[in-house]
Amino acid sequence: MIGPSRVAELDVPAAGVETGAARPAQSYWNESWERLRANRVGMAAGLLIVVFALIALLAPLFSLVVTHVQPQTINLDDTFFRPGLRHLLGTDELGRDTLTRLIWGARVSLGVAFLTVAMSLSVGTTVGMVAGYYGGWIDDVLMRFVDMVLAIPAIFLFILMSILFRPNAITLAAIVASVGWGSVARLVRGEVLSVKQRDFILATRSIGAGDARLMVRHLLPNVLPVLIVAASLGVGQIILIEAALDFLGLGIQPPTPSWGNMLTNAQSYFFRSGFLVAFPGITIFITVLASNIFGNAVRDAFDPRLKS
Amino acid sequence: MTQPLLEVRDLHTVFSTKEGTVKAVDGVSFDLTPGETLGIVGESGCGKSVTALSVMRLQRPGKIVSGKVMFKGQDLTKLSEYEMREIRGREIAMIFQDPMTSLNPVFQVGWQVGEPTRLHHGWGAKKALASAVNMLSRVGIPSAESRANDYPHQFSGGMRQRAMIAMGLTTTPQVLIADEPTTALDVTIQAQILDLLRHVNREFGTATILITHNLGVVAGMCERIIVMYAGKVVESGPTKDVFAHPTHPYTWSLLRSIPRLDAEKHEPLKPIEGVPPNLADLPTGCAFHPRCVFRVDRCTRDVPALLRVGESQLAACWVTQAGGELTGA
Repeated sequence: MIGPSRVAELDVPAAGVETGAARPAQSYWNESWERLRANRVGMAAGLLIVVFALIALLAPLFSLVVTHVQPQTINLDDTFFRPGLRHLLGTDELGRDTLTRLIWGARVSLGVAFLTVAMSLSVGTTVGMVAGYYGGWIDDVLMRFVDMVLAIPAIFLFILMSILFRPNAITLAAIVASVGWGSVARLVRGEVLSVKQRDFILATRSIGAGDARLMVRHLLPNVLPVLIVAASLGVGQIILIEAALDFLGLGIQPPTPSWGNMLTNAQSYFFRSGFLVAFPGITIFITVLASNIFGNAVRDAFDPRLKS
Repeated sequence: MTQPLLEVRDLHTVFSTKEGTVKAVDGVSFDLTPGETLGIVGESGCGKSVTALSVMRLQRPGKIVSGKVMFKGQDLTKLSEYEMREIRGREIAMIFQDPMTSLNPVFQVGWQVGEPTRLHHGWGAKKALASAVNMLSRVGIPSAESRANDYPHQFSGGMRQRAMIAMGLTTTPQVLIADEPTTALDVTIQAQILDLLRHVNREFGTATILITHNLGVVAGMCERIIVMYAGKVVESGPTKDVFAHPTHPYTWSLLRSIPRLDAEKHEPLKPIEGVPPNLADLPTGCAFHPRCVFRVDRCTRDVPALLRVGESQLAACWVTQAGGELTGA
């Protein structure tokens, strides 16, 4: 019935006044990316995080080439060294090189942070999406469960879990994510509730799309901006939580260095060498600050609700 | 008479609300023959859209409680959700009132127009896009090839509605349901879209159900019309007969409330007094009786059935069924 041969015969009234020359496609993503790029402070903060992440990834190389020591290398001749040429950021009570330990600690801190964000996003998105999309009793059951999770005093849960599972980077991420997914689920559910009211969802159903296709291919991309914002703001927060757990001895155990357990160690020698406290502290401070600044920049650029 | 393509019989769709059960569609029946254009008219909230959505089984959170929707020998109300998905978009397509929100803002238009063919024909991205571009140009989108890469916000309202129509047509469905397709558009664009729908109907042979509250649109587009009031069909028949001799006071009043070129000189426009009734709290008897200028005692007691009045029309009115004329007042 329809063939290209008939196109010529068709005298379809063209969209006369609306005729416009083709413009380059400006997608939501392009636009948001342009906005983010225009934010210099935000981009600098983002770059800093990327650099830290790269250094963390290349930690073994740094040990080999730059500092020439391993993080656990003890040198009792060089204890409490002040920052200088021999040890750029000094050494601790066992003569271990602080810079090397900070670099290896970044692997733990950033690794746990990214892993936690990935875990809470995937669980939270799934739960929030299903709750918001199906509504009714499914929504009630899932969201009351989320309320319960969010009502648990997190620090006690962390203590309990740390006792039950010997913490390493992966279990630690799972422990923190076991609470973190709740707020993501709430966020996603709220967004799904508003998006699913829009006409294009009904229109998509009307062409025969099923629930799974609607959720994954049509709803999820609309929720993505909120997820990106949640992820970038979450990183800084989780670095802090992780450092706190390590500091309390509930996280990564010595001798594996992490920013948090370096602080624990340092508190005994606070008056011998303030540098031992200062460097991990400053590192955490800078990383969290950069994450938050970058997160805010991402939110300004991506959050559809902030668009004018 | 040709075999109807779509037969709706005694369809009842209800919504549960705090005020009680609302019968949004209350015993609606009609036929759609292949290739025809059927108009469904009525004021807002009289059940036109819910009727259309019920045919597509998209009436959630409403529930179809009884009735049949026969399409190609099967009752759509009995199909499983999975079987129904095969009908939607492949056999029956629907376009909606507000083209501004009917397209997904995060996808390129061409991708969306191709979605039905990916869903139903299992076409790959390239083939689907090619057919989408072809269809976009056939519905009058200039330089469709590059426009297919645009996002919905780069399209004007009229172009979005064209894109929606293109999306509906990619699978060459037999029925196209257009739910107030021009209401959200300005007048010149309305005319273009109606032209396009007429075209589609002629060239593709697609039977069209046109839902509107605009009698002018119906007059120019539809061979037959159905007039709905408070969830019921109150009159149906060939458009020209209904316009010439309305046999239900509601239709009569509607026609008197709009300006017409063929009206007698100096005839004032008469708006219909009152508002449509609350569907959760319908008046007894004929739902239109409180606003009806021809009402007799019986109208407040008994609900009239939809019966033949005159040669070609059906009406649900005690007055005209008893041979009364609708004149004057």
